[in-house]
Amino acid sequence: MEAVLTRHLDPNAPLGLQAYRAAGGYRSLDAAFDRKPEEIIEIVEAANLRGRGGAGFPCGLKWRLRGADAPHPRYLICNLDESEPGTFKDRYLLYGGPHQIIEAAIVSAYALQAEQVVIFVRGEYAKGGNGLKCAIEEAERAGLVGSNIRGSGFSLQIKVHLSSGRYICGEETAMTNAIEGRRPNPRPKIPRQSVKGLWDQPTTSNNVETLVNVPHILLNGANWFRDVGVNGGCGPKLFCVSGMVQRPGLFELPCGTPARELIFEHAGGLAEGHALLGFIPGGASTAFLLPKHLDVPMDFDPVAKAGSRLGTGSIIVLDDTTCPVQATLNLTRFFARESCGFCTPCRDGMPYLAQILTAIAAGEGQAEDLALLEELCGIITSHSFCAFAPGGVEPLVSSLQCFREHYESHIATGRCPFDAANKSGA
Amino acid sequence: MGTIRIDGREIPFKEGDNVLKAALAVGIEIPYFCYHDTLGSLGACRLCAVEITPKDPAKAPQVVMACLEPARDGLEVSVSALAARQVRQGVIEFLMINHPHDCPVCDEGGECHLQDMTVACGPPYRRYRGRKRTFTNQDLGPLVHHEMNRCITCYRCTRFYQEYALGDDLGAMRLRNEVYFGRFQDGPLASPFAGNLVEVCPTGVFTDAVFRQHFARVWDLKTAPSVCPHCSVGCNTLPGARDGTLRRIRNRFHAELNRWFICDRGRYGHQYSEHPARPLTPRVEDVKVSYRQALTAAAEQIKAARDKIGGLGSVREDLEGNAMLRALLYDLSGIFATFSDPQLEVATTTAVAQLQNTTRVLSLAEMEQVDAALIVGDLTAHAPMIDLALRQAYRNGAKLAVLHSGPTPLVRFAATTLTVPPHEIGAHLLRLNEWVAAPSAAHNKQEKELTDIATYLTAAHQPLLIGVIETMVAPEIAVLAQLSTALGSRARLAYALPGANAYGAALLTPASSTSAMLEAIESGQIQTLIVAGNDPLGDARLGARWRTACQRLNTLIVLDCVATATAEAADILLPVAAWAERSGTFVNYEGRAQGFASVFQRSEPLPSTAEVIADLAQCLGLAPPDAAVVLSDAFPGYQAPVPGTLGSPLAALPLPVQIDTTILPAKGPHPGRWQAALTSWYGDEPLAGFAPALLKLAPAAAALINPAIALSEGIAEGERVRLRGPVETMVLPVQLDNNVAAGTIALARGVLAQLGVGHGDPLELEKIS
Amino acid sequence: MNDKLNRQVLQKHLAQLPATHPERRAAILPMMQALQIERGYLDDAAVEEVAHFTGLSTTEVEELATFYSLIYRRPVGRHVLRVCDSVCCSLRGADQLLVVAEKYSGVPLGKVTPDGAFSVLPSICLGLCDQAPAALVDGEAVGPLDEAALQALLQRLQVEG
Repeated sequence: MEAVLTRHLDPNAPLGLQAYRAAGGYRSLDAAFDRKPEEIIEIVEAANLRGRGGAGFPCGLKWRLRGADAPHPRYLICNLDESEPGTFKDRYLLYGGPHQIIEAAIVSAYALQAEQVVIFVRGEYAKGGNGLKCAIEEAERAGLVGSNIRGSGFSLQIKVHLSSGRYICGEETAMTNAIEGRRPNPRPKIPRQSVKGLWDQPTTSNNVETLVNVPHILLNGANWFRDVGVNGGCGPKLFCVSGMVQRPGLFELPCGTPARELIFEHAGGLAEGHALLGFIPGGASTAFLLPKHLDVPMDFDPVAKAGSRLGTGSIIVLDDTTCPVQATLNLTRFFARESCGFCTPCRDGMPYLAQILTAIAAGEGQAEDLALLEELCGIITSHSFCAFAPGGVEPLVSSLQCFREHYESHIATGRCPFDAANKSGA
Repeated sequence: MGTIRIDGREIPFKEGDNVLKAALAVGIEIPYFCYHDTLGSLGACRLCAVEITPKDPAKAPQVVMACLEPARDGLEVSVSALAARQVRQGVIEFLMINHPHDCPVCDEGGECHLQDMTVACGPPYRRYRGRKRTFTNQDLGPLVHHEMNRCITCYRCTRFYQEYALGDDLGAMRLRNEVYFGRFQDGPLASPFAGNLVEVCPTGVFTDAVFRQHFARVWDLKTAPSVCPHCSVGCNTLPGARDGTLRRIRNRFHAELNRWFICDRGRYGHQYSEHPARPLTPRVEDVKVSYRQALTAAAEQIKAARDKIGGLGSVREDLEGNAMLRALLYDLSGIFATFSDPQLEVATTTAVAQLQNTTRVLSLAEMEQVDAALIVGDLTAHAPMIDLALRQAYRNGAKLAVLHSGPTPLVRFAATTLTVPPHEIGAHLLRLNEWVAAPSAAHNKQEKELTDIATYLTAAHQPLLIGVIETMVAPEIAVLAQLSTALGSRARLAYALPGANAYGAALLTPASSTSAMLEAIESGQIQTLIVAGNDPLGDARLGARWRTACQRLNTLIVLDCVATATAEAADILLPVAAWAERSGTFVNYEGRAQGFASVFQRSEPLPSTAEVIADLAQCLGLAPPDAAVVLSDAFPGYQAPVPGTLGSPLAALPLPVQIDTTILPAKGPHPGRWQAALTSWYGDEPLAGFAPALLKLAPAAAALINPAIALSEGIAEGERVRLRGPVETMVLPVQLDNNVAAGTIALARGVLAQLGVGHGDPLELEKIS
Repeated sequence: MNDKLNRQVLQKHLAQLPATHPERRAAILPMMQALQIERGYLDDAAVEEVAHFTGLSTTEVEELATFYSLIYRRPVGRHVLRVCDSVCCSLRGADQLLVVAEKYSGVPLGKVTPDGAFSVLPSICLGLCDQAPAALVDGEAVGPLDEAALQALLQRLQVEG
């Protein structure tokens, strides 16, 4: 596949405004301004662009549901708070080509008739955030951002909100609180953000990767976008592959590319002589898949059918040297540590899980622990306030199924077999 | 409206109710933590899990949080469903992971919501084997004790403190299972409503630091429905006593008044009744005597004085005590009064007369619904719970305007603030009246502010005008009432009166009786004075005059439960029961008579004021008056309000109103001179002044001056200045405060009393070179 | 002079608030970031300063300051090394790197070395999984690291002072 989203990315020397325009950048503005906003939404809907931030909600539908008669001012939040372990695609977009993000923000805001875009950049990407700010200033000077852009009558401000860490800020409503200067706890689902979001105004949130597809869809059409995908997937997708592979990295491939191709072709496969134990397909909050799932197309529905989620499209690979109990403990600790502390199941349940897993991993588990883990996961999954904890227990729940015998042997033998292997190997 | 079914039972609900609210309203106990009747739903604790059955039989039942589930007609809810019970059990297990299980030594014991819920929902045994998270506690001051390890992170404390009471020095810090509710640094909580944390917290994180000093297990406490004696709002309380001593005060729900909350003066002011200096033994000429001996001595002096006798009741004395004293004085052909300052008498009776003339006065619950309010004076110190009600109005979008002379916390929430010297308050009120009659353009800043205020008031659906009587004079009070009339039937009038029973006392007060009394003492027309619950010798403005006058008395007989200056000076002192030790009636700012019950008896029981007077009458050979008879004489059709009920309006004959408002603009000190203003704080009240824990929070004595004026006079912050009053001269440090009017020195009540000036009186300030 | 600079920075942040909703609390985080860049960490005086400029209370500022992982309420070294300990880096040896870093620095993770040169802070995923095990040195990405590279790095930070 010819690179679309990464075509002009260069983290070492991102294109300035002139170079970006010379390479065809900002052409989608004309394509957008020539259309009515609702036409753009129709095209995006027709393209079946699904959200790249994790949930996979259809972007066009989200935009349409906000409603054309929503009161002004309206906000568009571009989520660049990427903090999900295994995920680094947004970092490439930010560091590699800020103008592509700005272009996407302009045409998307135009479709939504939003007068302000807030790009929420995670604190660890501060340098990239500063680069983005400079690029916005460049675009403002060129009349691409500001009032009455190119005589279209459409005016737009783009602001960068530089955050200071915490995974929960990536949750849509927590992000709204964060921007407003409140504690980044999630908000209730009702009223919806599309009705009462940032500053109580209609607000739409999209992941940055979702948005950068929009200019290309506008220029090339919905059919082109659908044709880019394979195995039923639509559009280009930024896949991250990390963990126990030879060449971890970011790969732009058609949505629907099988995991096998990603892991074994693009990421160089596993180290010589090692076998695949399993993999996480969509970032830390998605369920483990097994070698038997390698041919599942990396697209929303097929991965869901296999029992996991495409999430952010970030594959984390475990090989036969990795202890799945340890890996699961690491993931669970991550969620316990990053819980905002708002609701009970997440705040107190995740550390409880981590405590039990710590005991098992250290060879101090008890026979009833596995049933206890499953019981607790059941309560946490279905009854926490936001989607953080349900995602947090997904790897654990699946790990208990996929790698049951590993847990059982930890408990039965009172030690971690991988520790022994490493020690004897050392 | 409609009904939902909870485990087969039909439950009615109101529009906007959620399932939990509807269930609790009919006594179905769905377990919950973070929900609070007044604070509403949050959805954080996840305890109120219930199962709902979709109408579509193909769909599986679903466990939802009752507090977040809107009640809708025909909804099938099950509290008892296994799936819901399992969730609740799980949530309790999570919450108890880090709880210290220190129940045997916990002050919350016996009224711990966490314990109730754990027993009701939780797993029988502990499964968590890890270490517990621990916290360091903070010193939150003398009123609230902090024990963070017990916290279950329900967020009720910060929701009450920040969102409801609009305080900003208690917050939620950190995250995950380390969320910490506390302050930036150790230090006393600043909110006048901080004590409510004790009740809002469902476990023992915030407990009553005063109760803790003399603790009793709550099931050992004697309680009875009572009414707060510390201001005119009349919040309902539940005092708790043990072994003949009063230990604590809790809020008692009153649907129209305080509902779930009380102020810290109400919660902690009770310490006066256990003050070490409290008079408990009768004294005659400084010799301890029996009650009988004191009565006999008093009767002899009264007989000796013949009709040269006076009786001074009080705004903090209950209706029975005042009425009995008045009846006795009538029988003895003496003079009866209830105030120590004629100006305050006229102010209070004027206010009550205006209230009698007005449409029913708004309850606290109704005040929360007003959409504009003009506040004259400092409500926080004089009627803290009205302040809290208006904070709710502010949260609902009401425009608050404050017309004041000295610091008042409500300016933080005011849309417009007019800070003027005491003598200019009246002129501004008159100007507002003129504007409402004929709107005009503003020509300067002050006019702009006046115009803003007038605009808020005229535009509002229900504007409230409320004045603080202690810092107003009668003409101002009348003009405020005129403004209410001018605004039409939408407008509501209220006053913060100067005592728990000021309304009742005012109704019993003969016109101009205070001056008559004072002059009669000065001229020797009164030889024996009976004072019940009043402290004329400690009066800010007239204390010195009273002290001089009382030297002419043959006998000063004092009935009180606190060691006031007057009680100290008594020839015959008859200690009486504090309010929790007697039953009685207070009439609040609305004119609502509320009964309070006797909670307990001291080991040496003390009589109430009414009982002392009845005994005295008997000693005098008079037909012993009966309080009920006396009250029905005073108030046609009077029926004593039953403690624990909502209370009832007191039917009384209208008080005469004689006010000349034309004197207003002319009033005021000479130019170039300073004017004193009373600056108060929420703990400042004659009884609460004997509460040690509250007193620890009293601001340091200082002369508060506007910074701009200080600059022009060359006075710096912290500089010591000499204040010259009619009685004394004092040296005080200057404190600069933007909320003090020009030409005004804001001073604490005690300082005013020492100087011998009242609010609005002229005062001299000298720089010390 | 320092104070003047602060004030300018802080006021700039206030000025940048959206005109339609100029809620001052939205300026808290940018102000904290600005002060931290200047001082290394957010001391109590800085919290008080943010409170002063936003008109909010110190407690309200602290509610946010203590939430964010990148706002330091305790002193940090002149250099800050944030070592990722999330799953991808952990799989590739991050746990051992943290052991080495702690040993090298001679103080527990999170504390400042006695010479004040650096602090090593374990961090959640830094978005550098393709360079695992990875770290941020004063905001600059480094990785993949091994024990030798880490020691060399810490040595360099110590020499740079």
